[in-house]
Amino acid sequence: MVFTSRDEAESAGTEFSLDSSEQLAGDPAERAGLGPWRLTGRRLRRDKVAIASGIVFVLLIAACLAAPLWASEVAETTPEENHLSDQVLIDGKPTDVVDMLGKPIGPTWNGHFFLGADGNGRDIMVRLLYGGRNSLVIGLAAALGTIAMGLVLGLLAGYYRGRADSVISWAMDVLWAFPVVLLGVALGTALALGGLDLGPITIQGDSLAIPILIISIAYIPYLARPVRGQTLALREREFVEAARAQGMGSMRVVFTEVLPNVASTLVVFLPLLVANAILLEAALSFLGAGVQPPQASWGTMIAEGVERITSAPHLVIVPGAMLVLSVLSLNIFGEGVRDALDPRARVRIEH
Amino acid sequence: MLVAVLALAAAATTGLASCGSGDSTDSGGGGAGDSSVTISQAAQPDFLDPALSYTIHGWEPMWLVYTPLLTYKREEGTAGSELIPGLADALPEVSADGKTYSLTLRKGLEYSDGTPVKASDFEHTIKRVLNLESGGAPYYEVIQGADAYLSGGDADADISGIQANDKTGEITIRLTAPEGAFSNVLAMNFAGVVPGDTPFENMTQDPAPGVGTYMFTKSEPNREFVLERNPKFTEDTIPGVPVANLETVRTVITPSVPQQTQDVIDNELDFMQEPPATDFVAEILDRFGPDGSEEQRFKEFTTLSTYYFFLNGDVAPFDDPKVREAVNIGLDKPALARLFAGTLEPGCSFLPPEMPGYSESLDSGACPWGDPNQPPDLERAKQLIREAGAEGAKVTVWGDNVDPTPKVTQAYADQLNQMGLDAEPKILDGGVYFQTIGNQGTEAQTGFLNWFADFPHPLNFFFLVDGATIQPTNNQNIGNVDDPRINKEIEALSEEPDLTAVTDRWEELNEYLVESAYLVPYGYRKLTTFMSERMDFANCATISPIYYNDYSQWCLKDE
Repeated sequence: MVFTSRDEAESAGTEFSLDSSEQLAGDPAERAGLGPWRLTGRRLRRDKVAIASGIVFVLLIAACLAAPLWASEVAETTPEENHLSDQVLIDGKPTDVVDMLGKPIGPTWNGHFFLGADGNGRDIMVRLLYGGRNSLVIGLAAALGTIAMGLVLGLLAGYYRGRADSVISWAMDVLWAFPVVLLGVALGTALALGGLDLGPITIQGDSLAIPILIISIAYIPYLARPVRGQTLALREREFVEAARAQGMGSMRVVFTEVLPNVASTLVVFLPLLVANAILLEAALSFLGAGVQPPQASWGTMIAEGVERITSAPHLVIVPGAMLVLSVLSLNIFGEGVRDALDPRARVRIEH
Repeated sequence: MLVAVLALAAAATTGLASCGSGDSTDSGGGGAGDSSVTISQAAQPDFLDPALSYTIHGWEPMWLVYTPLLTYKREEGTAGSELIPGLADALPEVSADGKTYSLTLRKGLEYSDGTPVKASDFEHTIKRVLNLESGGAPYYEVIQGADAYLSGGDADADISGIQANDKTGEITIRLTAPEGAFSNVLAMNFAGVVPGDTPFENMTQDPAPGVGTYMFTKSEPNREFVLERNPKFTEDTIPGVPVANLETVRTVITPSVPQQTQDVIDNELDFMQEPPATDFVAEILDRFGPDGSEEQRFKEFTTLSTYYFFLNGDVAPFDDPKVREAVNIGLDKPALARLFAGTLEPGCSFLPPEMPGYSESLDSGACPWGDPNQPPDLERAKQLIREAGAEGAKVTVWGDNVDPTPKVTQAYADQLNQMGLDAEPKILDGGVYFQTIGNQGTEAQTGFLNWFADFPHPLNFFFLVDGATIQPTNNQNIGNVDDPRINKEIEALSEEPDLTAVTDRWEELNEYLVESAYLVPYGYRKLTTFMSERMDFANCATISPIYYNDYSQWCLKDE
């Protein structure tokens, strides 16, 4: 995934107060001097598609949070329980959950095996919801990790310039040079095998922290570069010079003067990063370098179902549809947020 | 010879087959009017060099190109496990102490390039196996002087235990200790004789000539390799080894198994080595199976293989016999069989069917842990786990990532959980799996294993549970089975050159191993033969129990 160009990327977020004054000159309420966040909220509410997408995403989260409830009260199984030899009643007829040739049952549209079973006789609906939890947790945690690391690096590089900027920019260039999926697979395969041992911190190879860490690192340049670009511009502005003239230390200037002015960029990036992290997690899990079995994720479910794509297409369609729905809703919502914050910005993370 | 006669008789009876010997004019119809077929493998064979290859992808084509001093009857079933003279003119004479094997090379043998075969070529062949550090090298380290040859580092040095006389053709092999399966070792593909000037290097790009019914005429790794009928090989070259029916067998490497399957269904490929893609099995059985709606061109056959879970007796909770018994009792074998899409026959015996020493009774009601084809006694398994105080014990279940192992590993872990343990699967890349679980430092508790016979002798299975083979790293006795009775009996039986005389003792040992619950055998793998409709499936799809599909006996229908 790459930005359309580095220039675009580095000019992605700007100080939105300037843009909004030009853009909204005709709005009496805005002319009255609303704060930027309230202004953003007002604009966002006008974007019905973005709001609908946001609601869809929230519903997905709610459904995934309800996974244990569905599993225990409706499906009466767990995401990891195999039912290879079990039977269910379909139209009053006992039917194998997995037949002798290994073909799993399709959707029954009732509590047990609502969306069918997978090759191990596990309830697809239950795994879908639990898998969604994993996918969403990874997506959200990885996006926050990227923002934390990318923000610090971008601010440091942009504010201090000189040697710090050279070293950080060089590291970002190196990281950027690798296609994200390639980097993710390389790290994922290595770490899934032996885990991560950093002295006091030990992460098991099958821990969700591994894909979170990998995805966080892979996307750092995509955030750090625009933050650096903005910081370079902001550090020359009068209000920063004024802060310095008042005797503020560098770190205080960075965190009290510069950081609030890049906050809008972070808000714009967050949903897009989450969407891309979910997508990358699915890709890594599909390739065996992400979530490790028996834990479910939409990517592992697709990988496990692909060999039966003809005879049991639900194994791929169901998690695939959830993936599309979540990523699409987040992207549309993210675009809406971006438009609301800064209609001129062209932030885009492309495949 | 017998096989060729039978094939001709079948052709004459049915009037369909065009099977014939090499000196007959083949009338079978390829698309171009010749007897050429195109087949596929999903991956390039590991090597096209008999000294190095250790996979069925390599062995299946190569056993028809490189004949060892001894070989196997070209027949199906148990008969196909019978040793016959290959390049030697008779089976070996074994000395009374079982340490000396004497053979004589047949007269007038030639490689496919016309070079005469010499007795000393055999020594060169074994040197290549040892020098190239082949996976088969351990089988030949029992030869006197093999250790010194290996440690000496001189590729051209002699192996003191092999005496070869090029004038008389006599070959004498002296062993450091009696080895009951050594005749089978001599018949392995590793010992397929190559010329004495074959370099000490991997010959995959330019395969060496051999004495066999076919010869390699093209090898483009990862693309294709071609076998053509060897003009130097006649019906008289090696009695019992027939001349190939088909002129050419072209193997293309097609990584996509679904693509291969569709191509065979559509008759664009004549055969696929892999079993058909899971998704197609039901359709293929319906249409081309033994009871299919169309002419049969698909069948399954059981291999000399056992699928089992190891239970590490040195590590809790499997150091408690009750826990091992519980796992044997509680394992749902029919359920696991479903994960193999019908290509696993549930079983209880460690030695597979058709292997000498196999105990049929274990699979027909006398299995101490219950009928392998019936659901398990889960309550009894839970009770034993409780009695052992192992309820909730943490267990890591190891498996590799080669399909269907991940599914099997997860299902096994789930079944252990149902028995009362607290199991989690751990899936590793296939490239590091055996190194990892074979390292004692890993303390692997239990996990997936299988074994396909290298040759039809029980020793080829029992070394996996021989206490003498336990090693700190690269351990193949992963469960650390170290039972004095088993060790003593393996040692005694391994010195017996006449397998038929001790088959009963192997059978008893097999039963004892199963009763002791040192491991959990759960089935025998079936492989498949699936051909295009131009192949004469009914008459020529012969399966060797050792090397599987015998291309040399394939033939085409009359067109």
